[in-house]
Parts: sequence; structure tokens; C-alpha cells
Amino acid sequence: MELVYSEARVRRESEELSDRELALAARAGDMVAFEALVVRKTPAVVSVARRIVPNAEDSHDVAQMVFLRVWEQLDRYDEQFSFNTWLSRIATNLAIDFLRSARSRERAHGATLHVVRLREEATSGETSRAAEDGEIARLFRQASERLTGKQKAAFVLREMEDKDTSEIAAILGCGESTVRNHLFNARRILKREIEKICPGFFATKGRNGEGKARS
Amino acid sequence: MTLSCPETRARFAAYLDEELQREERSALRAHLAACASCRSEAGAEDPALLFASVAPEPVSAEDTARVLASVRAGIALKSVERRVRVIAPVRRFAGMAAAVAAAALLALTVGSPAPPRAATALLAAHAAPPESSKADAAGAAAGANATGPARPSTAPFAEAAGPAKGRLPADATIYDWNPGGGQPRVVWIVDRSLDI
Repeated sequence: MELVYSEARVRRESEELSDRELALAARAGDMVAFEALVVRKTPAVVSVARRIVPNAEDSHDVAQMVFLRVWEQLDRYDEQFSFNTWLSRIATNLAIDFLRSARSRERAHGATLHVVRLREEATSGETSRAAEDGEIARLFRQASERLTGKQKAAFVLREMEDKDTSEIAAILGCGESTVRNHLFNARRILKREIEKICPGFFATKGRNGEGKARS
Repeated sequence: MTLSCPETRARFAAYLDEELQREERSALRAHLAACASCRSEAGAEDPALLFASVAPEPVSAEDTARVLASVRAGIALKSVERRVRVIAPVRRFAGMAAAVAAAALLALTVGSPAPPRAATALLAAHAAPPESSKADAAGAAAGANATGPARPSTAPFAEAAGPAKGRLPADATIYDWNPGGGQPRVVWIVDRSLDI
């Protein structure tokens, strides 16, 4: 007897497809392909969101919203362009929106929750490298509170995710010169805020670290 | 391409000024990720270098499964919402027809001294609520909550006037039919905001 349909086999086959092929299959109504895409892309989406929104739980909420948006808008995906850029654009925009609403909630309820979360994160078990990364990540979250959503997203994508400015421009829907301005301003504000949090942090070095304004 | 510690440190300025080629930039970041000493040196230079080497927080298989489960639930919910949106106009019409039928049935079966008048008034209230009935609306709403003794009403119906009148929605209509002022009291509330 021949097995006509095997979900496990379909899943295995989906794993061999590229992101773009999975997206096209999902657009044609293939839910297995869509779920394979969700599983494959969740770590990247959560990772970017985690650096933009205030805490880990929020980044999972953003990831969920991202994939729901992808599911709703798959028919708008232009296959001539990179699926990852399209996905990053959705993820970044939703994370920025989430950040804005989180900030307005925090303004309404005070910063107590944020402080509690910082303490909770600081006391969780960590290895030495993870502890160092955790410490710097916490410093980033604290110092980046003064950045606009776009500045923060541009900085995260360029300096932490190591994306090219041209790709960031495509993700944020702006020109490369605007991206460079966002990056310049983000670095300037971050430096100022870090100096407030940890006085003398950059003082021992000769370089002023503010870079050159780029047009 | 790999870089030594001195080569890495010599490229900090070029990195910050966006003057490194893609390969050199990647090599510098890879070196920072692996070398605590250079990481410390770089971190004191500029925020861009300080945050360049922070590894992304790991996303566990459980986290991914949780996101997938939430997405599945969200898609199922949205699918149901789409179906309900298609069906809703038909159901709303059916609900209105049922309400009219119930009004007619009530008027015919209660057998009070003035059922035809009450039924007429109910239908008239839909079309044009009289100004004089507004005064009774608050009282009718209070009576509708049925927290105290039945309030005798001389008006066969009353029209709710808005959210300020209590917990009822703005477009709720209260039909208070109580010709004799005694028991049983019949209060009929139609909430037009409900999708039934």
C-alpha cells in the first residue's frame, strides 16, 4: 500500500526549501510551509525584537504579531525582493510600534516595572561571557530609552545585527543618508546616556567617539 | 580573513567612520566576539563598538514552539473572525426578525387590559422616541437592574437615553411594560450593539 500523504515527509521537504520558496508555497495556501517558515525565522525575529523592545516576553509577543502580519500580507510579498528584508521590515516596524506603546504605558504607570525587570534579569544565573553580554545588553536597554524608535532600530540593525546601510534603508523605508543620520544621532545620544549612567565610561580615551556627521 | 589584536585595534577608527570593507568589518567583529581584551578596549571607544560584540540572546526550542502555537491560535482566531464578518449581516437581520416576532407574541399572549397599545408603543419607540419619555428613562433603567422592589410605571415604555444612565450601552432600548403597576413586572431590554 502506498502512503499518499505524510505530514512528516512534507515537513522534511519544507526544511530543504529556501525562505523565498517557503514563502511562495505559504502564499499558495501551504500551512506546513508557513509553519516551517515560522520555526526557521523565529530566532532571528525574536533576536531583533529583543534588542528593540523592553523585555524578553515582549519580544515573543512581537514575534507572534510579525508572523500573523506575514500570514495576512503574504499576497503582497514581491518575490523579486529578499524575503528576509521584507520580514525584517515587518519585524522592525512592529517592534518600533510596540516600543512606542510600551513607552507610553510606562509613562502612564511609572518606571517601577522596568526597574523590577532589570533586577530580575540581573539576578538570573549566567555564565561569565553571558553575564558580560547581559550586563552590556542591560546597559543598552537603559541608555537607548532616549532614542527614537527609528534611531534605535537603525543602530540595532547596523551595529548589533551587522546589516548594510542599504538593507537598513530598505527595511526602514528611508534613504541611506537618513539611516546614516539615525546612526550618527543614536551614537551621540547613547554616548551621552552611558556617561550619565556610568560617569567616566568613555573619558579615559582620546577619541571623542562622536564620529562625523554624514550627509 | 582574521585579525590580530594590534590589527584589530588599529582599525577601530576606520570601523567607526564606516571606512572598512565588508570582509574587514566582519573580521573585526569576529575578533571582538572572541577576544575579551580587545572587547574591553573597544567598549571604551564608542557605543558602536561597545555593543558590536553582544551576542544575541539565545532563543530556545520551547520559545519557538510557544511562538508557533500563538501564531496558530492567532490564525485560527482570524479565520473565525473572517467567517463571522461574512455571516453577521444575515444573522443581524434574523435577530431583528426574531425581536419583532417576540414583541408580537408578547402582545398577544399576556392578555393584559392594554396589550395592543403596548405593542404599538413598542414599535413606535423604535421609530421616534417621544421627548416626554426621556424623564422616565433613568428610572426605567434602575428598575431594569431589578435590585429593589418593582417600580410602578405609568408609562408603557421608556427609551434609554445614553451611557450616563447606568451600565447600559448607549444604543440599548428599554421597554418597560407594566400596565397595572403590580407583579409580574415585564422589562424588556434590547441592546442593539449586540451582534445577534
